[in-house]
Amino acid sequence: MNLILQNLPDFLIGARNTLIYCAASFPFALLIGLMLALMKSSRFTWLNTPAKIFIEVVRSTPIITQLFLVYYGLGAVLANYDLAYLLNAWVAGIAVLALNYAAYEAEVFRAGFLSVERGQTEAALSLGLTSGQNFFRIVLPQAVPLMIPPFVNDFIYMLKDSAIVSVISGTELTSVLRLAVFRHPSNTFPFFALALVLYLLLSLPTSYIARFFERRLRAAL
Amino acid sequence: MQRPLIQTGSRPRNWLVILDYVFYLVLIVAVAAFGYYLYSYSDIITLYLPFLLEAAALTIGLSVVSMVLAVIFGFIGATGRLSRFAPVRWLATVYVEVVRGTPILVQLLLWYYGVGQALSMLGFDPYNTAFQVMTALQNNSLVPDAFSAYFYGVIGLSFNYGAYLTEVFRSGIETINKGQTEAALSLGLNSRQTMRHIVLPQAIRITIPPFTNYFITLIQDSALLSVLGVVELEQTTGSFADPLLDPNKKLFIYILGALLYFVICYPLSLLARYLEARIAVAY
Repeated sequence: MNLILQNLPDFLIGARNTLIYCAASFPFALLIGLMLALMKSSRFTWLNTPAKIFIEVVRSTPIITQLFLVYYGLGAVLANYDLAYLLNAWVAGIAVLALNYAAYEAEVFRAGFLSVERGQTEAALSLGLTSGQNFFRIVLPQAVPLMIPPFVNDFIYMLKDSAIVSVISGTELTSVLRLAVFRHPSNTFPFFALALVLYLLLSLPTSYIARFFERRLRAAL
Repeated sequence: MQRPLIQTGSRPRNWLVILDYVFYLVLIVAVAAFGYYLYSYSDIITLYLPFLLEAAALTIGLSVVSMVLAVIFGFIGATGRLSRFAPVRWLATVYVEVVRGTPILVQLLLWYYGVGQALSMLGFDPYNTAFQVMTALQNNSLVPDAFSAYFYGVIGLSFNYGAYLTEVFRSGIETINKGQTEAALSLGLNSRQTMRHIVLPQAIRITIPPFTNYFITLIQDSALLSVLGVVELEQTTGSFADPLLDPNKKLFIYILGALLYFVICYPLSLLARYLEARIAVAY
């Protein structure tokens, strides 16, 4: 118990950093994901093929591989050009999390857009709206509520996947945990318990929010 | 300018279509450039690829073993969640919620550094046990040095995925129409026969696509075993790239490793999509 209390501040800072990692990456993931989704649903090959390739490659390789590739591989190349200051654990972690999740969010966006009936688009166009107006005023407002639960779900996944940043010596919860475990190798269970509880505290409320939204959505439809 | 309310005739061809042809050209150039990139490092490929392929085989092997164990965990979990006894249900729910609410990396560390160390203090060491068993079989050189990491890594992976599969199996069983169970029971089948001949065959069908998807993510998550020191693809890639001084070669090895993961996972995801489409069509 004493051990836990002693290390609690460090763990709380770690949990805060985990949140910062996710809060920083998720908007980027959404933005890039939206771009990818729009590109992928374009009728022009020069727009949809790059998006498809990006999504397939990102989804078919482990996130830890991507992180190593960016942090050590790309980092070494950047250092070669005296640009090492561009890349630290924060930048690499946030960039990889954002790019990785963008590929998943793109699918969520696309599914959301497809779920708005095609007839509405036709009606809007025949009423004289431009395709841009149709997208922002007709399709998007209806698609967004459908997309919120999967977004929240993915945010929870990101909270957990951000643990991977610890392999490149990030400063989030799992890094703190690993440091504590290496310092006290004979008595590790309190630290694991603390970390698990903190992760659950981070993720369970979010999942309840997601369920709440889902229920409200079902009631609305 | 007044926009025509009703467009007559076909839509005017967008000039952006021209960019498509430019794009094909760029794509061909890009593919050729990537091919040349691979070719220009062919000495590295011939040097390291055999070892990387070996490591990839180990990754696949570990993933298959973990998946088999995960199915067992998943079945136990699903039976628990569908059990009539409330405490069993609660236990299964806690298992699912805790495992799904925490990072797999932390769980792997917990198994290896927490549980593993505690058990070794109690006198159980997977490495020694395997070593002694294999000595009795006169094959102890087959036991890798990091066998304990392999052991707890596989257990951690399968324990984690067991929780996800629990939900897959449970929802698979629950989506089978309750009417079918009632019909089977009223036809005189007992509950075990109903499960075995009516519900499970249909439930397994439904669960195949998510199952394949989880297998793909399991292969990807097996890269996390490198943190425990298991010499699988990720660990091998890193250990080759780390001592290299030339940053371009370093980057190339990481790209090669990622490429191998892609080669393993992409066909599987195509398969998953195909199965999904087929299963959506049938019935």
